[in-house]
Amino acid sequence: MKNNPPRVALFATCLVDAMRPQIGFAALALLEQVNCVVEVPMGQTCCGQPALNSGDQDGTRKIAKQNIKLLAGFDHVVVPSGSCAATIKKDYPDLFEADPVWHAKAVDLANRTYELLSYMSDLWGWRPKDVSYATTATYHDSCSGLRSLNVQAQPRKMLADVTGLELLPLEGANVCCGFGGTFCVKYPDISNAIVGEKAAAINATGAALLLGGDLGCLMNMAGKLHRDGSKVRAFHTAEILAGMGDGPAIGETA
Amino acid sequence: MSNAKKAIFAAIRKALPAPASAPTIAAELTQLRARVTATRPDRVSGPPDEVFLDRVQSPGVAATAERIISWDEFPAVVMRYAEQHHLAPNIALQPHPDLEALNWGGCQTHDHIHTDETLAVGLALGGIAETGTLIFHSSPQSPTLFAFLPLHHVVAVPYKNIWSWMEDYVASFDGKSPPRNVNFVTGASGTTDIEGALVRGAHGPGWLHIVVVGAAAQ
Amino acid sequence: MNAFQGRVTAALADATLKIAIDRTTNTARSKRTAAIAAWPEFAKARELGRDIKDHVIANMEYYLNQFETNAKKTGAKIHWARTGQEACEIVVGICKAANAKSVTRSKSMLGEEIGLPHALEAAGIERVETDLAEHIIQLAGEAPSHIIWPALHKTREQVGELFKAHHTDPGALETVEQMVNSARRNLREKFMAADVGISGANFLIADTGAICTVTNEGNAELTTTPPRVHIVTAGIEKLVPSMVEAMTMLRLLVRSATGAELTQYTTFHTGPKRAGDVDGPEEFHIVLVDAGRTTMLAEGLAEMLRCLRCGACMNHCVVYRQIGGHAYGATYPGPMGSVITPSLDGLEKSQDLPRACTLNGQCQEVCPVAIPLPKLIRGWRTKAWVQGYEPLHTAWALRIWEFLAVRPVLYQLASNMALRIMPVFAKGGWISKMPLAGGWTRYRDMPKPQGGTFLAQYKKHQAAK
Ligand code: SF4
Repeated sequence: MKNNPPRVALFATCLVDAMRPQIGFAALALLEQVNCVVEVPMGQTCCGQPALNSGDQDGTRKIAKQNIKLLAGFDHVVVPSGSCAATIKKDYPDLFEADPVWHAKAVDLANRTYELLSYMSDLWGWRPKDVSYATTATYHDSCSGLRSLNVQAQPRKMLADVTGLELLPLEGANVCCGFGGTFCVKYPDISNAIVGEKAAAINATGAALLLGGDLGCLMNMAGKLHRDGSKVRAFHTAEILAGMGDGPAIGETA
Repeated sequence: MSNAKKAIFAAIRKALPAPASAPTIAAELTQLRARVTATRPDRVSGPPDEVFLDRVQSPGVAATAERIISWDEFPAVVMRYAEQHHLAPNIALQPHPDLEALNWGGCQTHDHIHTDETLAVGLALGGIAETGTLIFHSSPQSPTLFAFLPLHHVVAVPYKNIWSWMEDYVASFDGKSPPRNVNFVTGASGTTDIEGALVRGAHGPGWLHIVVVGAAAQ
Repeated sequence: MNAFQGRVTAALADATLKIAIDRTTNTARSKRTAAIAAWPEFAKARELGRDIKDHVIANMEYYLNQFETNAKKTGAKIHWARTGQEACEIVVGICKAANAKSVTRSKSMLGEEIGLPHALEAAGIERVETDLAEHIIQLAGEAPSHIIWPALHKTREQVGELFKAHHTDPGALETVEQMVNSARRNLREKFMAADVGISGANFLIADTGAICTVTNEGNAELTTTPPRVHIVTAGIEKLVPSMVEAMTMLRLLVRSATGAELTQYTTFHTGPKRAGDVDGPEEFHIVLVDAGRTTMLAEGLAEMLRCLRCGACMNHCVVYRQIGGHAYGATYPGPMGSVITPSLDGLEKSQDLPRACTLNGQCQEVCPVAIPLPKLIRGWRTKAWVQGYEPLHTAWALRIWEFLAVRPVLYQLASNMALRIMPVFAKGGWISKMPLAGGWTRYRDMPKPQGGTFLAQYKKHQAAK
């Protein structure tokens, strides 16, 4: 790849775009450290997951087609979210099963799409150099990344090379936090009970930081922790790896 | 054909309009069978009777067990067991000729089983090492309820009839018509129905003592 | 508030229920995990189990015929039932023909599904549930709340009260042992006095016509052996080709259900009493029940017919573990129930079940036959959307959002506008209350957006370069 650096599109996701642009900039900072040419396509909005999980396949297909067109021609598409990456990689092809032309395009896009943390680790073997952060952290595995894309060891390996950072195990790290996209607002009582247990497990680690790879889940857990008066601060893993851990955590003002 | 059967088959046919031929089905099944060996828990290393003895006493099965070399020792084992558990030497003896041929002097035996039997003595057809399972085939010599009604069940099993894996047992009866009941018994009766806590002796025996009879010549 | 939400609210408010759920499901999960860890071949076995079930389902006609022919040869009487009601009528008919006053039943989820307990009662036949958990809920007059532990919602204290009220000479009921012993004593004579014993079947063995039951208590054999008549009710999807496949399925089923390697009692029943047998039933009936299975086959739910009823999916379900089984309002709770119930009871009535799921996928991960439960659950959401069941306000919110999502310029405008409004509601970095966000902020704070979309900031950034 040395001679021909891949052209990479960063697909920031709707949540990062609206709620926490810093994750987008962290992703850019990481991608700049490997030999690729990064672009941020301006026509991006959302992967369409809210529509898909609400059962509106036609609506999702419209959004998917827009993204397939937008992201054509890039060597790689990188997404700082396991769940949105999985939608593009796993669900887009299924959505076009009955349409051979679009199915082929969806499969092509799926093959070029990566979740950010596994992209850095699996494709580039990247490890942080000269990033130090003397604190304790615990890691929650968001479900889609974990189960659809096998993101589990990679973030931990990379975090292990952050000088001074001690990773404490989270009991039930692979158990859903109760976010579930629209689930958390359609069934807030159930979601609250689930995230309540998760917050208790996070507090029990004694860690200062909560890290993860999906902003949706992080907002859910951080929001619950804050409501309950916990001192645990939450970051996207990319922010720590990019050395942005000294900035405000989720829900903190600069 | 009953109307219900006709309707069910019509519904299946509608959902699966192109049924495969019998040879195709058989060929597919052969392929599935070829995959079984690679899926078995690969832990039965060593002679099956030794693994079996180990397994039945493991925490998961939690039976007690011992080995005797000859059948003649079996009544004494039963007497000792009764003594240890403070049971009267009054036993329901499974009506199997091999058991009846032994010398049961010193205890009372009867060949049927009561609803509230305390101690029954039986003979299993064989065992499975993989799981620590006893196998009973029902017959006039092996009534099913002997394995279910007593509180204590002492069972002899010939060491030669201990198979390594469940499939080995199945293979040795392949093509033979099965008895009315094949009972796999793996440990004493238990229940976890109240708060997931394991309690023994729910309806079946609360104690299972297994006696492997015989050993390979050293 | 709809009926589901009402049941959820009640369940979440019941602290005892949560204690009971945790006690059993926590044990179940850790035991299963240990059992799978001790079986490195599990992944391969799971694929084989999946393929065996798919093979049987794809060739259902063939195997059903084979099973029927072989079972008849052993002297079993075969009955076919299209619906649950038909199945109940057949069972009650057999009981009446046998002049039965009392029947014992060994736990069968199919029996619950088709309403057999009620049908027997309505026919004036004494019904004795013999599985300890079923006995508990029979005394309590309740429905099962789990497919493996039907009385999972009851604490030991509650069971003690029940036995005290209903058992003859219960003695002390302080420990679980004492409770189990009291049940043993009270059910003993009932086993022996029953005229008919009814069981389900975990597997139907096609090449011998045998049916397989698994229990830990030994109640299945005590139910099926002493009475004159044994009736089996079984779903038509319970087939396996032969004993060889039954062994693979047993390994998967038992470890997934309780974490043991095999149930204490695994029995293959083949026809009635033989010449010379001193025990065993004189009549052996097998009722093969469709009750919606062929419908599931036709409506794209064939994968669901693999289900072994092991319960692992619910033990690992974050939703089940908060609300318990009764909140689902159906025979089958948890992930598998959320797929099956809309098919059995109709989607309109049960539309909340597939929706009340985070699609986290742990159920599929632990399912011993790899049923893609999240995909099937999402399939119901698609049907619900197409059939217009989505509540109007969320449907319209989604449509407006979709309208914007395919118009990137408008979308950015709208986002940046919203981002200018949101901080108004913030205190420090957090929003704890905001119009239209009640679903979120009722229990959680929402981080204040950092200000300006990523795309807008990026553009500025690039321009400044
Ligand atoms: S769906 Fe799978 S995990 Fe759930 S009960 Fe059925 S077999 Fe078990």
